[in-house]
Amino acid sequence: MKKLGILLIFLLSFSCKDIGKSEKKTTNLQGQEIEIKYANGFSITQFEDYSIIEVNSPWPGADKTFKYLLAEKNAQLPDHLEYDQKVNIPVKKIVVTSTTHIPALEELNEIESLKGFPGLDYISSKETRKLINSGAIKEVGKNESLNTEVLIDLQPDVVIGFAINADNKSFSTIEKTEIPVIYNGEWTESSALGKAEWIKFFGALYDKSKAADSIFRGIEINYNEAKKLAETVENKPTVLSGSMYNDQWYVPYGNSWQAQMIKDANANYLWADTEGSGSLSLSFESVLDKAQNADIWISAGQFTSYSAMLEQSQHYSQFKAVQDKRVYSVSMSKGETGGVIFYELGPQRPDLILKDLISIFHPQLLESYEPTFFKALNK
Amino acid sequence: MQHTAKYVSILVILVLVLFALALLNISLGSVHIPARDIFSSLFNAEVSKETYRYIILDYRLPKAFTAIIAGSGLGISGLLMQTMFRNPLAGPYVLGLSSGASLGVAILIMGSTLIGGSFIALALSKWSLVIASSIGSLIVLFAVVLASVRLRDTMAILIIGLMFASLTGALVSILSYFSPAAQLQQYIFWSFGSLGDLSWAEVGILSVFWFLGISLAIFCIKNLNSLLLGEEYARSLGVNISQNRMLIIIATSLLAGSITAFCGPIAFIGLAVPHLIRQILPINNHLILLPAVILGGAILMLICDIVAQLPGMEFTLPINAITSLIGAPVVIWLLIRKQKFQF
Repeated sequence: MKKLGILLIFLLSFSCKDIGKSEKKTTNLQGQEIEIKYANGFSITQFEDYSIIEVNSPWPGADKTFKYLLAEKNAQLPDHLEYDQKVNIPVKKIVVTSTTHIPALEELNEIESLKGFPGLDYISSKETRKLINSGAIKEVGKNESLNTEVLIDLQPDVVIGFAINADNKSFSTIEKTEIPVIYNGEWTESSALGKAEWIKFFGALYDKSKAADSIFRGIEINYNEAKKLAETVENKPTVLSGSMYNDQWYVPYGNSWQAQMIKDANANYLWADTEGSGSLSLSFESVLDKAQNADIWISAGQFTSYSAMLEQSQHYSQFKAVQDKRVYSVSMSKGETGGVIFYELGPQRPDLILKDLISIFHPQLLESYEPTFFKALNK
Repeated sequence: MQHTAKYVSILVILVLVLFALALLNISLGSVHIPARDIFSSLFNAEVSKETYRYIILDYRLPKAFTAIIAGSGLGISGLLMQTMFRNPLAGPYVLGLSSGASLGVAILIMGSTLIGGSFIALALSKWSLVIASSIGSLIVLFAVVLASVRLRDTMAILIIGLMFASLTGALVSILSYFSPAAQLQQYIFWSFGSLGDLSWAEVGILSVFWFLGISLAIFCIKNLNSLLLGEEYARSLGVNISQNRMLIIIATSLLAGSITAFCGPIAFIGLAVPHLIRQILPINNHLILLPAVILGGAILMLICDIVAQLPGMEFTLPINAITSLIGAPVVIWLLIRKQKFQF
């Protein structure tokens, strides 16, 4: 199945190259690369009449780099230009497939170009919800099996896909109708600022690279300022993270972006020395042994109150963080249709996540701060 | 007489093995706890670290009890089903009980997003899972009982049970298809089975169901023995077949239903334990088989739990995978060695 998918993409890439060959003329091969400081998954090179986005990590472990050509409709393109998909810019109609793409569109002031989304209820942003309620954004099924008919009917200029491997049949069908599907691999980034930097990817699509660059710079400055502020404190609390399903406890690895942010917020993450991808699955007893006296517990699953948590398992009562009522969760900040705001806005705003964490770890530094994502559990 | 002495000595050996394995089970785990601390915890003496006492008394000990209850209860359910249907492939799964429980849990966890609101918070409570699972298996049970009143043929009941399993499986698929990742994950984790998340109060409730189920099974021993000779023969011996069938179904439901509710669906034990025991004790007398299956089920489950904990490692494996991984090759090996099912 996977091989078939790879073969299909391979064949498609050839068919696209043929289209590319028919649009030719001037040769200006000296492009200027846009600065990408933290993200590893993509690059943007601007040429006189067009730009090229290369996405090298559309999904974890991908062995193919996707090359996307962005050009105005009648742009003059050089001979022998090779690419996988061509997108006419600036994009006027777009379909995105992850809530994490929404904040980028909003920041760039282009949310009105959003015409379809799979799973509208997950979207929490008030601005976008207004458009959904007015019927301007259509439901297009689920990411893994998009409602192809509705999507084709919308005739977007581009579909921003995200995929867990090369096997997304819906995307192959859409590509056949000459609607370009381009992969956004922001979720595979290993650093928080790297995730946020993908706004430059959207900037290029809307021909707003400068605006995207300055938005990102703002986030970067805020993040680094917050990090510096956290460094002024000597006392580092110990931190437990993750949650338990049955008796398996899932905690982020020490090299994950979550662990990096705990470190940047100047706290001592108990599994900081572990390395791997995904999350570490531990037995209850090994977590209790290590983290019983942890000062703070963040990202405590879907719980919104201590009573719900203890009803689920009385073992939780053994942790000092639970006894001291120092458990924080992102599950309490939800949009009107139940989407968790952290999953939507978090990747785009690591500066806000960092500030939330600093206000939890070192409350004296941000006294009147109102956290965006992390809230203390209810009693 | 000589045979009886042999059987009794085998039962005694099984009791000793069970005791040794229970001790081994609580002394092994992800966290290394020195032997002295294990005994100190058990006898309320001073321990070198308070966490150790909690791990032993409130985590490993209830887990070991749960393993014993689940293993023996599922083993007995399997034995009852195999005798009633006179089919070596029968087990608690065939009545559709596990699938009914799965559907109940699936509706609770994944249906909550469709219904929304406060229902989602309810889905997080552990008791709601137990209740949903019990309601699910009870509904299937009632349907099977209704069918068994009308049908004279036990094979037809078996097929109806299998059909219910397909039907509930289809409904679970539809629910999964429309569920967000978090809910799907929660359901999948439930379906992996788990022994380690029960409080003493929950172990207590589970024991009550276990006791009732086992008592009913003991009550049926005589009739079970005559059933092995065929329904017609049993009837000629004065066994009230439909009443007996009802009792067996209720006993199985009490055992398999409560275990599935608290521990999730645990595969294979119900099917494998009676076969394994028949290899050691080649008789059909349920008076001996019943206690042997209770002991054998408990022993197998404790072994599976020890393996699932991967002593010395920081993580554990899902119990449902281990029961099949260990049990299936053992049964295959025994069957190949003995060439046939002894039934």
